[in-house]
Amino acid sequence: MAKKEKVVYKEKVNWKKELSLLPGYIIVVVWIGFTAAFLLWIIGASLSTSREIFSGTVLKFESGIHFENYVSAWKSQNVSIFFANSLLYAVVACTGVILISAPAAYVLSRFEFLGNKVMKSGLIVAMSIPSVMIIMPIFSLTTRWNIRGRILLIVLYIFMNVPSTTVYLLNFFATLSKTYEEAAAIDGCPPAKAFWIIMLPLVQPAIVTVTIFNFLGVWNEFFMALIFASSEKMTPVGVGLLQIVNAMKYTGDYGGLFAAVVIVFMPTFLLYIFLSEKIIAGVTGGGIKG
Amino acid sequence: MKKNKAMIVCFILPCLIALAAVYLYPVVRTVLMSFFAIDSVTADMSGWTFYGLGNYSRIFNSSTYRLAMWNMLRIWLVGGIFTLSFALLFAVILTSGIRFKKFFRAAIYLPNVISAVALATMWIQYIYNSDYGMLNRILGAFGLKGVKWLGTDMKFWAMLGAFIFGAVGYYMLIFISGIERIPQDLFEAATIDGANKVQQFVKITLPLLKGIIKTNITFWSVHTTAFFLWSKMFSPIGTESTTIVPVIYLYDTVFGSQGNAARDAGAGAAVGVTLAVIIVLIYAVMNGLLRDDDLEF
Repeated sequence: MAKKEKVVYKEKVNWKKELSLLPGYIIVVVWIGFTAAFLLWIIGASLSTSREIFSGTVLKFESGIHFENYVSAWKSQNVSIFFANSLLYAVVACTGVILISAPAAYVLSRFEFLGNKVMKSGLIVAMSIPSVMIIMPIFSLTTRWNIRGRILLIVLYIFMNVPSTTVYLLNFFATLSKTYEEAAAIDGCPPAKAFWIIMLPLVQPAIVTVTIFNFLGVWNEFFMALIFASSEKMTPVGVGLLQIVNAMKYTGDYGGLFAAVVIVFMPTFLLYIFLSEKIIAGVTGGGIKG
Repeated sequence: MKKNKAMIVCFILPCLIALAAVYLYPVVRTVLMSFFAIDSVTADMSGWTFYGLGNYSRIFNSSTYRLAMWNMLRIWLVGGIFTLSFALLFAVILTSGIRFKKFFRAAIYLPNVISAVALATMWIQYIYNSDYGMLNRILGAFGLKGVKWLGTDMKFWAMLGAFIFGAVGYYMLIFISGIERIPQDLFEAATIDGANKVQQFVKITLPLLKGIIKTNITFWSVHTTAFFLWSKMFSPIGTESTTIVPVIYLYDTVFGSQGNAARDAGAGAAVGVTLAVIIVLIYAVMNGLLRDDDLEF
């Protein structure tokens, strides 16, 4: 019934109203048109030769479509290594942060104990601490203890996402009814087990949202990677792309450069195409760091 | 209850370790470092010599640091005005009953989701390119001469323009959520009373958005103090005076830059503490401002 009403409503275009909105349409369409035009051009350039790029004939594909740009970016410019590293960092960090944050958020929202309030405020303060305040001691400590390589970045990404993730999940656990645990306790289920098999699945939507944000955050992270990725073997995509740009002067392979750009932005771009509603709702609903 | 105690400890401990390891300990140590003369960031505590406020007076007397602060201020003010105005404009347009609202909203937010390094590369290598770049082509179509966007004169503004383009979507989403919370009957009543769209915006939307505007200014200010990536991308190899910002200055003094082997971790820590103090001040000022008339609706 509701659906039918909607269809009827859609057919009736109120032209007078639309006309009054015209300036708004124009402004938005110009802005988005600009975005679309340059994304399209970048994809076009990634399939063209350097000469076509310089002569300004990118979207005509006069010499055919050059997929070999992707092959050269992937193989000779090390994008495969950067890509694998970023994927590893993002997947492991997203899992690790949930394993730490979900239990903590549950306990903080459910039980009264000494230091509960302090810890909640500590988490909120930690969310606004700028990374310049923490890099130097971490750098000196990890150098002295000889902690480096991929494991260092993974641990950093996990720990640095703990405050925002815990704060986000706190609110969701607080909305769950206590009857779940009471029923579990009556049936003889220990509280820790009740958490993993009953409570955690109940906040699954929140976990999915926060994991999307953590994934985007780790994939796009740049500052920590620039400082702590000490060799090419552990460099993620952001810093890797900077290295490719810096090497451009010597290679001159513009097609390969744009192919690398496309490879780097494609994963989060695709994620966004499928999940934009959820991501947008998460930005305004959850108070996630931007 | 005893069982619960064990569970609480086990569940909270990893989170506590994370907080202590990457926030509590580093922050305390960075604050301490800012009062000591330290060359290498890896120097042991026994190698530190007390320096009082020496690091602070040194950075504030350094012309490079003052330039970095000046650039940050310009980014904050000029960038803030443009970003928040565009964000508010788009938020108002998208909530005015326009079609395809969800698509438009998603498209404007898109630059926030893709890697900023990729985005900056696209701007530098395509839009601002002086041979085949989009902007010079557009200028050429109007018969105008191309501009060297990445030359010394224009680089700062080119960087700021690209940064604003990427940032607008985020602030727009926050404005939209604020506008959507304003009850529709206020606008309906105003329409019946004969108020036009502009009057409604000035008399209803803006006053009721005060809290949201405050939030956005706070976020923008904090966002500006962390400005790093765009500056690094626009001057990737050597730091340039046109694009230097405090975090770049810190990075160069602590980890060294091209052609400058001298390192000074103490001064770097002082820069970090200064930025943290600025953030605290922003929160304090913003919480003090507009506190009393937080409207409930």
